[in-house]
Amino acid sequence: MPLGSFTESFGAAVSCLSTSHLTDEVIRRSKRMILDTLGVGLLGTSTPVFNTVLQCSQQALENSKVWGRPGLSLPPQYAAFVNGVAVHSMDFDDTWHPATHPSGAVLPAVLALAETLPVKPSGLELLLAFNVGIEVQGRLLRFSKEAHNIPKRFHPPAVVGVMGSAAATAKLLGLPAAQSIAALAIACSSAGAPMANAATQTKPLHMGNAARGGLEATRLALLSLEGNTQILDLESGFGAFYPDYVPHPLAEVTPTSHYRWVLEDQNIAQKRFPAHLGMHWVADAAIEARAKFLDKCPNADLSQIKKITLRVPTSRYVDCPLPVSEHQARHSFQFNCCTALLDGEVTIETFSKSHMNRSALKEMLLKVQLENPQDNHSSFEKMYCEIAVETTQGEMFTARCNTFYGHWRKPLSHEDLVRKFRANASTVLSAEVVEGIIYTVDHLDTNQDCSMLWSYMHFNKHMMHRDECRSSQCNASLLNRSTFE
Amino acid sequence: INVCTQRSTRYLSAISAARGLHKSALDVAERPAPEETVTSSFGRFIQSVQPRHLSPTVLQRSKRMVLDSIGVGLLGSTTDVFELALQHCQHMYAPDDVSFVYGRQGVKLSPTLAAFVNGVAAHSMDFDDTWHPATHPSGAVLPALLAISDMFHNDSKPSGLDFLTAFNVGIEIQGWLMRFSNEAHNIPKRFHPPSVVGTMGSAAACARLLSLDRNQCSNALAIAASLAGAPMANAATQSKPLHIGNASRLGLEAALLASRGLEASPLVLDAVPGVAGFSAFYEDYAPNPITSLEEHEHSFLIETQDIAFKRFPAHLGMHWIADAAAVVHKTLAGLKGGSISPNQVQEILLRVPLSKYINRPFPETEHQARHSFQFNACTALLDGEVTVQSFHPEALQRPELLALLSRVRVEHPHDNPANFNIMYGEVEVTLVSGDVLRGRCDTFYGHWRNPLSQESLQKKFRSNAGAVLSNERVERLIEAVEGLDHLDDCKPLLAQLQ
Repeated sequence: MPLGSFTESFGAAVSCLSTSHLTDEVIRRSKRMILDTLGVGLLGTSTPVFNTVLQCSQQALENSKVWGRPGLSLPPQYAAFVNGVAVHSMDFDDTWHPATHPSGAVLPAVLALAETLPVKPSGLELLLAFNVGIEVQGRLLRFSKEAHNIPKRFHPPAVVGVMGSAAATAKLLGLPAAQSIAALAIACSSAGAPMANAATQTKPLHMGNAARGGLEATRLALLSLEGNTQILDLESGFGAFYPDYVPHPLAEVTPTSHYRWVLEDQNIAQKRFPAHLGMHWVADAAIEARAKFLDKCPNADLSQIKKITLRVPTSRYVDCPLPVSEHQARHSFQFNCCTALLDGEVTIETFSKSHMNRSALKEMLLKVQLENPQDNHSSFEKMYCEIAVETTQGEMFTARCNTFYGHWRKPLSHEDLVRKFRANASTVLSAEVVEGIIYTVDHLDTNQDCSMLWSYMHFNKHMMHRDECRSSQCNASLLNRSTFE
Repeated sequence: INVCTQRSTRYLSAISAARGLHKSALDVAERPAPEETVTSSFGRFIQSVQPRHLSPTVLQRSKRMVLDSIGVGLLGSTTDVFELALQHCQHMYAPDDVSFVYGRQGVKLSPTLAAFVNGVAAHSMDFDDTWHPATHPSGAVLPALLAISDMFHNDSKPSGLDFLTAFNVGIEIQGWLMRFSNEAHNIPKRFHPPSVVGTMGSAAACARLLSLDRNQCSNALAIAASLAGAPMANAATQSKPLHIGNASRLGLEAALLASRGLEASPLVLDAVPGVAGFSAFYEDYAPNPITSLEEHEHSFLIETQDIAFKRFPAHLGMHWIADAAAVVHKTLAGLKGGSISPNQVQEILLRVPLSKYINRPFPETEHQARHSFQFNACTALLDGEVTVQSFHPEALQRPELLALLSRVRVEHPHDNPANFNIMYGEVEVTLVSGDVLRGRCDTFYGHWRNPLSQESLQKKFRSNAGAVLSNERVERLIEAVEGLDHLDDCKPLLAQLQ
């Protein structure tokens, strides 16, 4: 059967089934089901668990700001959701080892929650909560060997991200240990999304849902909802997401002890362009090969390239010879290779429609062949990319990238990180506000009041909510003060 | 009592032995620390770690992460997908809530949250229907459909038949998906089925009611797949009902997102090696396409595979053992004339399928009690039946019950597989007098092989609904559902629930 046909057949069936297809027996049986379900539902409204979720759903907490949308707020889980989607929308967010995108699941939830607290946390408390969320993810990932490889089954942010979000938000609220456990257990029931939706428009929702689910779990735990107190111990618990799950307890933490954070031993990769991490090896190798080519033949025409061989690890979801959507392009060894060869760089613009549709690019894509050498492991810790460019003149240019610039082994310099931030943030914020955020984050651990952070996020230089006009003038004067103090 | 903790320590040893763990890890696993589970160590860590534990490196690195994350987030706020998600949320979580909540007259929530809480209500006592292969199909679908129905304008509510069609699409999709895996035919061990297929069913039903085109329907299913899957460990806890609530809510969300144009994997139900889709939830996934409606007469699965309705609020497996124990109770009551005393009983042997999460010798909460062969057997032995009241706190703590529980032994015969279509329950009571009384149940009343009569079903409904609604409303609901396929619009049904 042609690929995609099962899914298609389901879509067709759902869409085409009509009243005419219902038989008498089906009608009879389904009416019985409806009656019974209504009845048990009504009875169930007298239970504590129902009352808990109702309270949680109704709670008129202050709303939290949506980033880049002045005047728009949502209940905190939904602010966390949309802001989380924003963070992962272009696959530009950080990546860790074992593989996941840790920050996007935690930061939006922590900020959204912090905003609603009557007593705002200090910058250090915010940082602590953030790090708890990262740490829990790192620890959980180490419970499985499979987690050390590029994922094939469940998308890691959906598995560990929601747990990190639950841990971070529980920490921010200062929950006692038993309630933190409940938050983790409740969050676990929201974990897990299959890899198939990577390289589609739905992938960013994995991040948004992780942020939201963790925050919601914490809120439910706060209302005394309970789950399995051994959720991390059991194969039928968090272990359900791994074939080789071996959990270990965390070391004891006393007020005077030193704590060894995973982040200390294992740094993070920050991307230089918005695409899957694997693309960064490819781009660096291709850029090097291109430089060698142009060095040898300064006036060369890139159409002289006859064949391009890419030696990369096996990873089905980033093997996309002819991507159609931007999401596919961000997950295509071939696309990123050809762009780098053509342009000498991969940028945000690379994934725009106009750039994607260039005929020179499309022609080059046809010349690419992938090889999966045995020694090229599907792991962000071990993989490499080798490129061999063959020209019509019979010349061969090769290059290899073991560690791209931005990888945890070769982290971005502070200047380059801030440069990336400025470039990104200034698409939406004015220079003043951009500098304000840089300053605030830099001083986060010494700042008593970090509420400026989410206020800054609420601006947009292209739009202004009428209610914000007055307040933004006030904020501007505050900005002037804080930036130059 | 730390039965559960001891079990998990033995569990860890068993796993580690099987996997040949490095010795130091084994030490960690087997050191006798009854209070310290991995889970509790996490809880403890989260609660006790302080700012002072943040080293300079950690501070520096994490601030870099915060900065980068904010930057990409701001940039990301210019994307289409962000705009889509935002519009969805604004629409869904607007201040004017439209959908009713069971048993709370006048209270309204947004449609997705109404689906959530009503779904939780449906599964809160494990009283909702069960199918084969195993799942609780209706609770995932009905709340979402009702919530959407509230969204429609008063003049354009769906007809009763449209509603029934959507409902059946939701059930059908669940049945089809479960047939893609042999593993799914047994009592689950890994993922709780309502959270896997229920979410998909809800998405399908909602897509149908919203009249989405076939691409949107496929996308709704694919988006829902990313919202599916909750581990079994939370069964028998207070969180289990949320599995159904979330299935209903998230399926609805998936359909709404698809209606706004969100796209997802076109291969989500196909088995693509190296990239898991829906197959992620099963070890043995072998999909088949649903036959095209143009080419073949479609036969709904519910037609050939009926559903089980429960007579009391507990896991389906409990119904076999309760009926078997009730037989013994009757015999015993006949012998001794009247009430049963634990002093008469020397030993109780239960022959049941092997399934960890329903094997609980001394349940401590109502949730555990609903998932305990032992508890349900002893209750039925004592009282002759299990009812809603059997799970009230006073009932859980009865000394006579506890005395019986301490006399229970469990066996797992080879011919009793953990499968709702094949299993049986056997109770063997040895009296101090030496007499041995036996009761066996192959098919309990309410099982699909021996379905509840319409009278029994209505009696259950009256008893349940009557706990929160007036008699008048209760009768009107029965009428509305009975005549659902003839209603021009489903307002009469919705009206009784508002």
